[in-house]
Amino acid sequence: MNLRKKIDEFKIITLPAIIIVFILFILILGFYFFSALPAIEKYGINLFITNVWQAAEEASKEVYGLAAPIWGSIYTATIAVLIALPLSLCYAIFVNDYAPKKLKYPLIIISDIMAGLPTIIYGIWGAFILVPLLRDHIMKFLYENLSFIPLFDYPPLSGYSYLSAGILLGIMVTPFAAAIIREAYAMIPSVYKEGLIALGATRYETTKVLIKYIKPAIISGLILAFGRALGETVAVSLVIGNSFNLTYKLFAPGYTISSLIANQFGNAVLYEYMTSVLYSAGLVLFVIGLIVNIIGLYYLKRWREYVFQ
Amino acid sequence: MSSNKHKAIRMIKDKIFLFIVGALTLLAIIPLFHIIISIFEKGLPIVLERGLTFITGTLSEGGIGPAIVGTLMLTALATIIGLPLAFLAGAYAYEFPNSFIGRATKMLLQIMLEFPTILVGTFVMGILVIPMGTFSALAGALALALILTPYVAVYTEEAMAEIPRIYKEGGYALGCTRAQVIFKVITKMAKKGILTGILIGMAKVAGETAPLLFTAGGLYEVYPTNPLEPVGAIPLLIYTLVQSPSIEDHQIAWGASLVMLIIFLAIFIPIRYSLKDDIKL
Repeated sequence: MNLRKKIDEFKIITLPAIIIVFILFILILGFYFFSALPAIEKYGINLFITNVWQAAEEASKEVYGLAAPIWGSIYTATIAVLIALPLSLCYAIFVNDYAPKKLKYPLIIISDIMAGLPTIIYGIWGAFILVPLLRDHIMKFLYENLSFIPLFDYPPLSGYSYLSAGILLGIMVTPFAAAIIREAYAMIPSVYKEGLIALGATRYETTKVLIKYIKPAIISGLILAFGRALGETVAVSLVIGNSFNLTYKLFAPGYTISSLIANQFGNAVLYEYMTSVLYSAGLVLFVIGLIVNIIGLYYLKRWREYVFQ
Repeated sequence: MSSNKHKAIRMIKDKIFLFIVGALTLLAIIPLFHIIISIFEKGLPIVLERGLTFITGTLSEGGIGPAIVGTLMLTALATIIGLPLAFLAGAYAYEFPNSFIGRATKMLLQIMLEFPTILVGTFVMGILVIPMGTFSALAGALALALILTPYVAVYTEEAMAEIPRIYKEGGYALGCTRAQVIFKVITKMAKKGILTGILIGMAKVAGETAPLLFTAGGLYEVYPTNPLEPVGAIPLLIYTLVQSPSIEDHQIAWGASLVMLIIFLAIFIPIRYSLKDDIKL
């Protein structure tokens, strides 16, 4: 009887699961590190700051540099967040403050559906519908009329480009950021709003003040959206054009780390160093994603603690 | 006079603001309708034209039957592998929110939730596919299980945390052990939330493509039978067909997207409607 009390069955049952989760995480990290090591040892820092992709049957002629995909990942995720910022903010404001009761719930469900929709569905729509639309109606116009701005002076031949990928990612991460911002906006104590209205503030002025109150939640929503955009694979690889272009020009085809892995991993075993190079690329994605998500989760946690004080 | 003018400017600003908020909200949700309409427009003719063959036939017969079965097989296997792990880890994070291991577990689960899914695929390829020498349903399911686990665990933890403490205290007062209180009382009360988490996790992994790219392999000419052999999946099939230059393949891809969209909406909307509160994705 006494013995039974001392042994906590709950811990005995759950601890193996916890240990497995921890081991898995360490295993993944270690696996990526050791798989990346040969390439990092061979090419050193050049692997991350140069832009070359020379696959050769002889190992000595192989040269790789991941600058273009690393840049592409960050660039497209940044475009995505710039698009998601106004859209998700306005959505959160509208749903909380202005949407008629009948519209409010459907709007929330629509946004949740968008957040959960399989990414391949965004991918096929992006590749066959969105890209031609952007090319014919937006890129061509900007190129013909505004090409003195360096951002726009790349001829939009196929339409598969950094811009297309950024816009598609923006559409995909908006509902995700919107959910976090909406939740935070709804938590603002109503006395603040009532006070502002009592002072005679217009709706615009009221919202402007309230938005400042939830700034940490907005930042965390956008950082987590950035992390999501960074890791997205199939939808991006179908619209980005998959070529090693290290440029800020919006209409140029490019690469992201995840689309590089998706495209090259299958035939990488034919070359001595390519697999290891791709694992290094994965390691970079891993580390950037880890940092971004930890910062985002930290902000979110701090905000929640602040609200529930 | 100037005060009147000032007021007018404020009112105009207010109107412009309202218009922008409404317009951008509309812009944020329009893509979904455009996607649904496009998929019906392009996918419906092909599904109607081929009828039942599209659902049951192999790829050379113009159908996606093996891919549908493959997706079911992968999802079921992933759930079998991931569910026990997820439930126990979630229960632990719920029971010890203030201990170091409990906090670390929750943090880890949240980080894994946001993990790039392609990295899970390449990881499983390295530890399972290369040693085995072949793509397999097992490898695909393991990759999906790694994505399902943090999902279900976080849902389990949150569903349990919503149960009022008083029930727990009541359980202890009756002399139950910790395991009895959590697995019998709290789990039963949080059943609905946990089940929702499991269903959403399953819907999520059924739609994943990236983790399957280098693990499942693809199989579209015969129905899968052996979990140690390659298997196909609907999203993987769509991804492959979209990249093909042939128009015929694109048509099948649209048809498959329609099937997938309908399955997704049929699962997701009822779950979403049955819940009063928000669910996090």
